[in-house]
Amino acid sequence: MICGVRFCGGCNPRYDRGKAFEKIKEQNKDVDFKIAEEGETYDHLLVIGGCTNCCASHCQFSTREGITRMWDEKHIDEVLKKIDEIKSKEKTKQNIK
Amino acid sequence: MLMTGDQYIESLRKLGTRVYMFGEKIDNWVDHPMIRPSINCVKVTYDLAQDPQHADLMTAKSNLTGETVNRFGHLHQSTDDLRKKVKMQRLCGQKTASCFQRCVGMDAFNAEFSTTFEIDKKYGTHYHENFKKYLEFVQNNDLTVDGAMTDPKGDRGLAPHAQKDPDLFLRIKEKREDGIIVRGAKCHQTGSINSHEHLIMPTQAMGEDDKAYAVSFACPSDVEGLYMVYGRQSCDTRKMEPNADVDLGNKNFGGQEALVVFDDVFIPNDRIFMCEEYEFAGMLVERFAGYHRQSYGGCKVGVGDVIIGAAALAADYNGANKASHIKDKLIEMTHLNETLYCCGIACSAEGYPTESGNYQIDLLLANVCKQNVTRFPYEIVRLAEDIAGGLMVTMPSSIDFNSDLKVGKNGETLSEVCNKFYAAAETCTTIERMRILRFLENICLGSSAVGYRTESMHGAGSPQAQRIMISRQSNINAKKELAKEIAGIK
Repeated sequence: MICGVRFCGGCNPRYDRGKAFEKIKEQNKDVDFKIAEEGETYDHLLVIGGCTNCCASHCQFSTREGITRMWDEKHIDEVLKKIDEIKSKEKTKQNIK
Repeated sequence: MLMTGDQYIESLRKLGTRVYMFGEKIDNWVDHPMIRPSINCVKVTYDLAQDPQHADLMTAKSNLTGETVNRFGHLHQSTDDLRKKVKMQRLCGQKTASCFQRCVGMDAFNAEFSTTFEIDKKYGTHYHENFKKYLEFVQNNDLTVDGAMTDPKGDRGLAPHAQKDPDLFLRIKEKREDGIIVRGAKCHQTGSINSHEHLIMPTQAMGEDDKAYAVSFACPSDVEGLYMVYGRQSCDTRKMEPNADVDLGNKNFGGQEALVVFDDVFIPNDRIFMCEEYEFAGMLVERFAGYHRQSYGGCKVGVGDVIIGAAALAADYNGANKASHIKDKLIEMTHLNETLYCCGIACSAEGYPTESGNYQIDLLLANVCKQNVTRFPYEIVRLAEDIAGGLMVTMPSSIDFNSDLKVGKNGETLSEVCNKFYAAAETCTTIERMRILRFLENICLGSSAVGYRTESMHGAGSPQAQRIMISRQSNINAKKELAKEIAGIK
């Protein structure tokens, strides 16, 4: 699974976005996290905002399984859950094949 | 192509910019201890653009080339772009606690783009095409450009053409088939030495008699006939002291202003964006000033964030952090700082498209933003000084704190004496306390006060300039009608 990552610009983040991302990566060593680039298609896109505005632009990126936006440390669990869901969906697909 | 910070520094070394300071020509100005901190600030604008955690603010897609460019070289395409500009400036202020100098170019690009479009529409000139090609060159090479507006102005009671010395406003000295010769100067130019190029604008609205002064153009910073005289700052020679570190307060970053002299400089036709169209001088000035007044709602807020943090640390180190009046002062500083930010965001959110397609800020709100900036930073540093205590201006030097010189009856060294008497809360070392107090000294009344205080007062126009604009935009008659309606006056 390839997960694109887009950070907001970080003008006044209310938590450490980098550390939050590291926590997510640590628990998903089988996922290939890549800083999102235009022209690439990702299985999923993780948008990491620093505050409730979560203003990071992301419409320019394409994904197969949608986007998850987070703007609070408390969202880490939800992100992990979403990634697990996509992973099990992928496994199911592979089993069918 | 985006440059890295190191590539930016190397690109400066290739320039032959003429710089004078203390009566001497400075050949290696890139590594000069008084100049380098200001170069490091511009470097930050390149480094942050390479960082995925900041790229969303620091870069944008060019409407001219479709390529990713540094936002400092971008034409705003939406109110979202205008807001992101302010956020980017706050970020850069946080990372440098200084003026990072590159916004004057960005503000000039946006003002030139729309103004040249409207000049061409009236006169059938080709300034807009000239400017678009120039901006593509800037974007493609990720250049830093000094947007230069302020003339020396001589006797403020006289128009440009009426000055005793005609050079006190930058002017067209000669028109040729292939270009123009310009003469004059631009004063207190922020970041001029650190810029690859200069983009010149007239300093005020002009009448027909002043048409020789209604000129806008671009040129390389090392063009023949151009030179700069470095501006002094309070306590600046501390940077020249051997092993200067703690006493500087902000060792790595700082601002820069210089006098830029045009000693008969030739400007080719394709770099001219206004040439005697005097009735558009006011439009260009007003648009540039509007953008630049918006800018202050970002950059000074970022610096304010660092000052508030430093004041809070000083309180921690002094052991005064639990006092209710200290907490209240930190709240007040935050309230003032975020009020500045509110205006920066508001004038951006209320922006609108110009005829040329790029976005302009709401002029009334941008002027209110800058008017607040002429006041609130002074209150913020007053509160910071209050919290810090008098020690921030009475401490011995860092040399004394490290000196082995025996001075006590029992053989105590100067270092031991200083560390004994300047120790405070156990949560910090004496040197950490000294560092934060020196930072506050530097920003409140040292070399960085140029950027945080006086620049907040006069940069992007002095307070009265904003009051004139607020008066023009304030719509008093409509307010009178509202009052009449409520009061039952027919």
